[in-house]
Amino acid sequence: MASAGPSGGSVTELAARLYDACLNQFPSDHLFYQQDLLGLNLVPKNDLALLLQCTQSLVNQKLFRLLQGKNDRLAWKIISREDAEKLQNLSPDESLVYNVIHSTGRSGIWVRAIGNRTNLHKSILDRCLKSLEGKSYIKSVHNVKYPSRKMYMLANLAPSEDVTGGAWFTDGVLDENFINSVAGFIEYTVSRKSWYEVPASDGPRNKRIKTADGGMAVKHEGAPKEYLPFPAGYQGYPTVPMLTGAVNESGITPVRLGEESITQLLEMLCYDNKLVALNNGEVYRSVKNPEEVKSQQARKPRGDDAGIDDRLVKNGMTEAPCGHCPVFKLCAPGGAVSPESCEYFDPWLEKALGF
Amino acid sequence: MTSQYAAELCALLVEDNFGELFARIFSTLQRYDRLSLPRLKFYSRLSDRQLRHGLAAMIQHHLVYHYTSYDDGVTYYQPNLQAAYYLVRSGKILEFIQERLGKYAATLMATIMFLGHAQVGYLETLPELQPEQPKTNGVNGEAEGEKTEEQMNGHDEHSEQPALLHPTLKALASHGYIFRVRDAQFQSYADNALDAERAIKSRPDVKQLKGKKLDETVLEGTVTLLKERLDGDLTRGLMHNGLPRGAKRRHANGSMDAPNKRSRVDYAADEDEEEEENEWSDDDMGGDTTPMELGMVVRVNYEKLDVALRNRRFLDLAELSSSPATRQVYECLLRRIEYQTKQCRDSAEIPREGEEGEQYSVPIALSALTEEVDPQLDLTGSIGPMEISQPVNRRGKRPLEDSVNGTDRDGSDAPSRTYEIDQHLSLLSQPPYNLTSKRMLSGLITWTVEFRHLARKLRHLELERMIEARYGDVALRVIRVLHAKGKLDEKRLQEISLLPFKDLRQVLASMQAGGFVDLQEVPRDAQRQPSRTIYLWFYDPDRIRNSILEDTYKAMSRCLQRLRFERNRLKEFLEKTERSDVKGNEERYLSQAELTLLDQWKSKEALLLGEVARLDEMVAVMRDY
Repeated sequence: MASAGPSGGSVTELAARLYDACLNQFPSDHLFYQQDLLGLNLVPKNDLALLLQCTQSLVNQKLFRLLQGKNDRLAWKIISREDAEKLQNLSPDESLVYNVIHSTGRSGIWVRAIGNRTNLHKSILDRCLKSLEGKSYIKSVHNVKYPSRKMYMLANLAPSEDVTGGAWFTDGVLDENFINSVAGFIEYTVSRKSWYEVPASDGPRNKRIKTADGGMAVKHEGAPKEYLPFPAGYQGYPTVPMLTGAVNESGITPVRLGEESITQLLEMLCYDNKLVALNNGEVYRSVKNPEEVKSQQARKPRGDDAGIDDRLVKNGMTEAPCGHCPVFKLCAPGGAVSPESCEYFDPWLEKALGF
Repeated sequence: MTSQYAAELCALLVEDNFGELFARIFSTLQRYDRLSLPRLKFYSRLSDRQLRHGLAAMIQHHLVYHYTSYDDGVTYYQPNLQAAYYLVRSGKILEFIQERLGKYAATLMATIMFLGHAQVGYLETLPELQPEQPKTNGVNGEAEGEKTEEQMNGHDEHSEQPALLHPTLKALASHGYIFRVRDAQFQSYADNALDAERAIKSRPDVKQLKGKKLDETVLEGTVTLLKERLDGDLTRGLMHNGLPRGAKRRHANGSMDAPNKRSRVDYAADEDEEEEENEWSDDDMGGDTTPMELGMVVRVNYEKLDVALRNRRFLDLAELSSSPATRQVYECLLRRIEYQTKQCRDSAEIPREGEEGEQYSVPIALSALTEEVDPQLDLTGSIGPMEISQPVNRRGKRPLEDSVNGTDRDGSDAPSRTYEIDQHLSLLSQPPYNLTSKRMLSGLITWTVEFRHLARKLRHLELERMIEARYGDVALRVIRVLHAKGKLDEKRLQEISLLPFKDLRQVLASMQAGGFVDLQEVPRDAQRQPSRTIYLWFYDPDRIRNSILEDTYKAMSRCLQRLRFERNRLKEFLEKTERSDVKGNEERYLSQAELTLLDQWKSKEALLLGEVARLDEMVAVMRDY
C-alpha cells in the first residue's frame, strides 16, 4: 500500500479501492464524512490532501456525490456504477439538471425551481429535460397541491404522499367511491368491536335480568340482537394497525393502504360523528352498534329520503318554517314578507297536523 | 338581550299574557328605555289612572324596574326584558315542577307565577290552593297557556290531602325554586350596582383611601353589598344533610319521581306510585311542622330553574349514547349537584369560545350517590364485560368484577354496588361528551360535572344540527374540521375532510352565503394581489351563535304573530266557543263541523306554542346555559 506512493496514477487506483471499500462496507445511502473514509485505513498516514484528491477524482467520475453534511462539513455519498455511467454520458448542463432533480428525491421539483437553482436559460433547460426524459432518467409527475405546475422527479422513484395526495387520490383526483367504501367497511369493523353483543343463549344473564325486573327482559327478547357498551377503560377497541390490517386483508382495496392513510380516514369518520377516538386517537370506538350501521348502509344507496333519521336530533329552528325560509331576513310584520302572508306556515301546519 | 327581535318578542309575550295595557306600557318603555312618569304618559298616551294601575301591576310581575333617583327625587321606570322573556318558559317550568314535586307543587308554582310574587299569608287564603275545593279553572288560563291549564284542572285529585301549602312551599323553597323577594330586586342591576357603590364610597373608612386601593375596595364592597341586597335564598335553613326537604324519602325508598318513572315504566309496572305522589310531605313534617312565615313574599327563582332545566338537557344527551340504567345513575348525580348549584354560570354573558375557564360543579362523593341510586335498579345488565376476546386483565379489577357478576347478585353487597355505579359514571365520562369527570378528594372518589364544557357542547350541537339540516352532512363534516383545526386553506381542508374540490367549494360557498363560515385573506406581499394571497376558511361559533340567537328570537315572534293571525281568521267562531254558555258544553251547542274546527284550532295552537317552546330551548342553550 505504501509502495504505491502518492503519484498521479495511483490516486485513481487508490480512489477505486476506496470506492470498492465504501461500496462493500457501508449501505448504499450512507453519508460519508472524512472520518468514515479515513477509518477505512486505505489512505496512507491519513494524508488529508491525498484523500481530497481521491474523492475529487471519484466525484469527477460521478462515482461520488458531494454533499454538505451537518455543520457545513463536507460529506459524500456513493453512486452505483450503472448510475455513474449514465451520468458520465450526460452533458454538463444535463448533469446539473439531473443533480437538482435528484436532490429533491420523492417530492419532485417544479420546472421553474430547477431554472432558479441552475440558472440555465429556459430553452437550454427545456432541451435538457427533454433529453433526460427521453433517456427515461426522469419523469414528469402530477402534484395534487399544485395541479398546474409541471414537476419532475427521477424515473425510478415513486412520488411521495405529498405529491400524490396520499392513497385517496387517483391521478390527482379524490376518489370518492373508494373512500366511501373503505369508510363504510371501517365503520362496520369498528362497531363490531366496540359493542358487546349479548349472546342469545346466555342463560344466566337473561335470568338475572328477569329477576331484577321482569319487564326489561321481555322487551329485549323481542329485539333480534342486543348490544351493550363496554365499560370505561376497556382495552379491546380496535387500534390503527389492527384496522389497517383488516382493510388490507378485506380485498376492497386494490393498493395496500398505509397506516397514515387509514388514520386520515379514521379522523374523517370522527368528524362525521361516526367514530370516537379514545386515548388520543390510539383506539377508536363507534357511535352506533353494528345493527344500526348495517341498516344505515343498506339504506343509503336506495335514496336520500330515508336518510333523515340518522341526522342529529332536530331542534326548534330546523323544524320551524322560519328555519328554512329563504326570505327570513326580509320578514317583518306588515312588510312584503310577513308572518301574516307567509306561505310556509300553512303547508307546515297541514303537514304536521295531517288535515 | 337587547336587540330588535328580542324586544319584539318580549313585547309580544307581554301582550299575549297580560293584554294591551301592559303591552303599550312595555313597548313604550322598551323604545325609550328609561322614563319618568310624565314622559311615559306623554309617549304612551295613556291616562293617569291606566298608567298607575298598569305600572303597579307590572312592578308586581317584575316586568318593570323602578328607581327613585337621589338627586332629583324622580322615579324612573325601565323594562325588564329578562322577566318578560321568562314568560315563555313558564310552561316548561311548571311541567318540570310537576315531575319533580307533584301536581300540587305545580299548581302552587303556577299561582306564584301568575301573581308575579306572592305573600305566603295571601297564598293561604286562595281558594284554589285550599285542600277540599272544587275544581278551579282559568286562574291563569289565558296567562300561562294550555299546559298550565291542564295542570290546574288536574290537581283536584289531590284535594283530599291535608293542608299541603306549607310543606309544599317549603319543598319548593328548599329546592331553591322559589326565593324571597328583596327590595333591591325591583331595581335594575345597574341601579343597584350604582347604589351599592355610593353606599360603599360614603363609608368613612373608605373615604380615606386613595388611588388603586380605593378602586379595589369599592369594587369588592359593591359586589358583596349587591349580593347581600339581592339575595333571597331560602334554601339554607331548609336543607338537611345536604338534601332539600321533600327529596329525601323518595330516594331513600327508591321510588323515583316522574322522569325516572317514565323511563322505568316498562320494567317497573307493578310499582304503584300514583297514590303516594305527595305522601312525602306528611312524612317529612314529622319533626318540623312550623309553617312558613306568613309575611314572607316569594317569587319564582328562574336562575335556579335554569340550572335544573339545563341538567335535563344533559340527561337527554346522556340518553343518546347510554342505557336507561346509566341515565338514571347520571340523574342522581346531577340532582345532587343541582341542590348546590345556584346559577348556570358566574358571568352575566357567555364568555367567548376559548376564553372560558373550566368550572367544575360541586364534587359529589361516590358513597353518597350509592345511597341515592335506587337499590332495585339493575346496574349490571347494561354494561358489557371488561374482556371479551382478551382474557388478560389489564386493570387489575377483574377479581372485584367477578364477584359482582358471579356470586352475590342480590344487591345487598354495598361495595360492589358502589363499584357498579362508578362504572356507569366512568362510562359517561368518556368522549365524545365527557358528561362526568372523576376527582379524588382526600382519598375519596368523587364525581363532578364540567358545566362550562358541557354547555359549550350543547351550543355546538345546536349549531351543528342547524348546519346539517340546512347544508347536509358534508357541510357538517367541514364545519367540524374547521372547528377542531381552526383556520385552514382549501387544500388542507380537503386533505382532512377528504372531499372532492367541487363539493367542498360548493358547500363552503353556500355556507358562506348563510353566514356560517367566513374567509380570511392573508396577502403575501404589499400589493395584495389575489394570486399571491392565502385564503383561510374559518368557523367562529361565537359569532354564529349570536346571529342564530337573534334568528331564534325572530322565529319565535313570527310563530306568535302567526298564531295571532290564525286566531283573527277564526275570530268569530272562537268568540262563540268562548261564550259562557258554550264553554264547557261544546258538545251540546256546537255542530259537528264546528267541533272539528275547534279541535283543529286547538291542535294548531298547540303546535305553534309547542314550536315556540322548542325554540325557547335553543335560546336557553345559546343564552342561558
